[in-house]
Amino acid sequence: MSGNGKTGLIFFPAFDWAISPTHPEREERLLYTRDQIFEEGLMDLPGIEEYKPRPAEKKDVARTHFCVPDVESQVTEAHLIAAGSALTLADALERGEIRNGFALVRPPGHHSMRVVHGNRGFCNINNMAILVDYLRTRYGHKRIAVIDTDVHHGDGTQEIFWHDPDVLCISFHQDGHTLYPGSGFVNEMGGPQALARTLNVPLPPGTTDEGIHYVLDRLILPVLDEFKPELVLNSAGQDNHYTDPLANMRFSANGYARLNEKLAPDLCVLEGGYAVETALPYVNTGIIQAMAGLDYSHVKEPDYVPGRFVQSAEMKREIEHTVSQVKKIWDERDELVAAALDGMGDFYRRKKRIFYDTDMINENQEEVVRLCPDCAGYMTITTSAQRGYGVLNSAFCVSIPRGACSSCREDAQEEYAEHLDDRRIGYVMMQDKDRDRFKFCNNMTRTEKGY
Amino acid sequence: MLIGIDVGGTTTDAVIVEGSSVVKTAYVPTDHDNLLNCLLAAMDELIRGIDTSKIERVVLSTTLITNMIAEGKTDPVALVLIPGPGTNPRDYALGESIILDGAIDFRGKETAPLKESQIREAAARISVQGLSRVAVVGKFCQRNHSHELLAGRTLSSALPKARIEFGHRVSGQLNFPRRAATTVLAVATRDKYEMFAADVARALKERRITAPVYILKADGGTLPLDRVPPVETIFSGPAASIMGVLALTEADRTSVVVDIGGTTTDLALILSGRPLLSAKGARVDSMLTHVRAFSVRSVAIGGDSAVRVCRGSSSGSAATVAVSVGPHRDGPPICMGGNVPTPTDALRVLGLADIGEAAGAEQAMLMLAAELGCTAKQAAGKVVDAVVDKIVSEVYEMFREWEQEPAYRVWEIMQKEKLSAQSVVGVGGGAPPLVPLIAARMGAAAVVPQYAAVANAIGAAVARPTITLNLHIDTEKGEYSVAEDGSTGRVTNKNMTPEDAEKLAKKLLVERASLLGIGEYASEAEVTYSDVFNMIRGWSTVGRLMDVRMEVTAGLLPSWGRR
Repeated sequence: MSGNGKTGLIFFPAFDWAISPTHPEREERLLYTRDQIFEEGLMDLPGIEEYKPRPAEKKDVARTHFCVPDVESQVTEAHLIAAGSALTLADALERGEIRNGFALVRPPGHHSMRVVHGNRGFCNINNMAILVDYLRTRYGHKRIAVIDTDVHHGDGTQEIFWHDPDVLCISFHQDGHTLYPGSGFVNEMGGPQALARTLNVPLPPGTTDEGIHYVLDRLILPVLDEFKPELVLNSAGQDNHYTDPLANMRFSANGYARLNEKLAPDLCVLEGGYAVETALPYVNTGIIQAMAGLDYSHVKEPDYVPGRFVQSAEMKREIEHTVSQVKKIWDERDELVAAALDGMGDFYRRKKRIFYDTDMINENQEEVVRLCPDCAGYMTITTSAQRGYGVLNSAFCVSIPRGACSSCREDAQEEYAEHLDDRRIGYVMMQDKDRDRFKFCNNMTRTEKGY
Repeated sequence: MLIGIDVGGTTTDAVIVEGSSVVKTAYVPTDHDNLLNCLLAAMDELIRGIDTSKIERVVLSTTLITNMIAEGKTDPVALVLIPGPGTNPRDYALGESIILDGAIDFRGKETAPLKESQIREAAARISVQGLSRVAVVGKFCQRNHSHELLAGRTLSSALPKARIEFGHRVSGQLNFPRRAATTVLAVATRDKYEMFAADVARALKERRITAPVYILKADGGTLPLDRVPPVETIFSGPAASIMGVLALTEADRTSVVVDIGGTTTDLALILSGRPLLSAKGARVDSMLTHVRAFSVRSVAIGGDSAVRVCRGSSSGSAATVAVSVGPHRDGPPICMGGNVPTPTDALRVLGLADIGEAAGAEQAMLMLAAELGCTAKQAAGKVVDAVVDKIVSEVYEMFREWEQEPAYRVWEIMQKEKLSAQSVVGVGGGAPPLVPLIAARMGAAAVVPQYAAVANAIGAAVARPTITLNLHIDTEKGEYSVAEDGSTGRVTNKNMTPEDAEKLAKKLLVERASLLGIGEYASEAEVTYSDVFNMIRGWSTVGRLMDVRMEVTAGLLPSWGRR
């Protein structure tokens, strides 16, 4: 690892931005965290360097998302700054100014999927996915691991990298039977070319430090050892905490700090966590200290005593069983891919329904990926979103992968051109990741714009 | 008539100002071993033949505290910390300390009690160490100072002669380690400062000067001699110069202040007529404090810096030669009888300065020219270019730092503009020849005001008092606290509006200003920061957290008409 050993920190609490006045994602969310980390004097310590965020470019968003009808209508300045914070730290990391970095920012992003019609799970755009695409396009990184440590399944990040064998997405979370977004089961393991590069570890409500560290020690760390990523990124949600009002786990601030010490992520991006007084100040302090190699043993919630939460034997067995299942999937990844691709033909198709809880939007998608022997294969998505009984927006999206072969490029361009004449579709979108060019066409007005 | 005296590193400058004109100036060399004497010598020189009954105000700017800290002559202090959960206190560079159990959280709630027996043990330890000064500092004590007071009570009954200072009385700004360092400095300098203040008061009385005496602070404001917290008088020298520039230049400009001395150049910024304060408190030696100070960047370059020729082989064929200036001084310029070429020699050769011997300056540049393979004049040009390059790049670095200051709100990130200076203002001996060159490089106007040499003393003479009040209100708890003196009180209105909060801040500021003896300036206070957070628990609002900062910022006395 390069750099002078400093930990880069961007604290962007967006004190003037909220989804709505009483929403958990409101101005107050990082207020006490501000008090705690400023009072600790963490920014003054020689091992910590505070950075000022820059807003992300619209192009950085378009590289990851198909925003319908366009980027401007889906993001506010706060979203661009939150995403830009992660990119600012990525630049500092790549310049060798820092050893690792933590974007302690809101609003969060890990429920945002590739197509964006609105806000779901408090997220509009996926800060982590935007970071991954930026690291690959700007700095040429290939193999990246994203570990989602939020209590909710990182379904957006999973969906965006579903077909990508070079991005390993591991999410552990409270079981989807008992918590939003209701997904993240063991059998969700990636597209046919990328099976087992998505790993999900659903955990029973009430899982403690012991259980989460078991997952880390027995599954995540060994898998990372074998995957050998160039970078490890942590989608650092803080709602596994025992006081979180929206979930039911029993993780402690010390457990979070120790997790980050062991995982040693290159970059962390804050996701959720809504125990604004009882958890966030302590969890964030602990994570910063762990990343900076400082002693975090003095961080302790006022009501925490070691040994406060004890895992039952039954819960322990359940977690061990899940971990062994997931480990088996990982160990058999090559066989799984071969079996899936065998006899599948030239295209892989799937239909999806996506619900945007915050904005009450229902989306129907059909996704088609070319199973190309020469490249990752181009992808098309037909999407239509309804709110109430009216159609909100529809779009046809084409994505050309990095390193696309000429045949995929030609076919993708043809698909784009063909749909320009289809008046039933509102927008036609082209995401050319290979040439880093993005265009959106409004089919009603026949106006095109690009990023 | 107003008197301003600035005890500087080499000279002590003094002026008498009447209305907007400078009536008289005086200088004496600074005697670091006896600041009081040199201050009085300058005063005596200044008031010779002057009717002292006409003096309305005397302002002193002195390096007393800065030097005391730099030379390690402060009094020893026992530091007692109540850190609560968070950082291991050993990770702070605070030196030896005694740690007490007990904790207060960010809302001011007690989350762990103090232990009486531990405090008594601490007192015993302090007594064994023979220390009679104690700083007691708790984390979040500004939100609830009961632990500090409780510990203080036990300590003072066990150590009846000890002088005890509390963190919440020194600064309520967030940042516990800075508060601890500032509290230690406050108690470590107070006794000696009080002796100095008493000496000054006595000496002025002997001279029949009855006008009130003020001290200049690091934030460019003045406070009465007997009311100022001594630690706030550090770095008053640069503050005096900057206030002088403010007085001597057009209002509302964005300027770079360049103070070029023998071996260092101090840079400061005035943005639209307001001197830029450093975002966090001042660094004093290795200690980070909460003392509000102007943002000053010191560059190790000046008229007496030693100039050498460096050889470096670039990637190409021929070795490159370049002049390098500073950071050290190796005696005076050759034109003043020294042995090593300096920028002053170069300026003399170029006809930009007329001090010293022309022949010596010529000889100095010839020494460089021989190595550079050029004429003496060309060598002089290269030296001056190197000095200007260095200063300009440091100015741009200051701009960049300002632009890169972290911000926590969307609008602050989106609106921050790029800086550019309208003028470059020179003060200090080395400024007149170099400032036009620096300004030209930056595309700004060069200004070397009349009386630039005594800008510091003028700044002291006409600086108005400053006062800051940070008010924190928690309507759910029904409490407010003032960061500056740790005072607290009750608020009964759960639906308090920002306007109500500002009204309360104003009332408290007026009270505090009159305690500090500057009541007449309270009307000039303005709100510089105001924030409201609704506290939501469940889905309903249970209260509001409000922060208001109200202050009289650095400025000039109204009697000083701008020129």
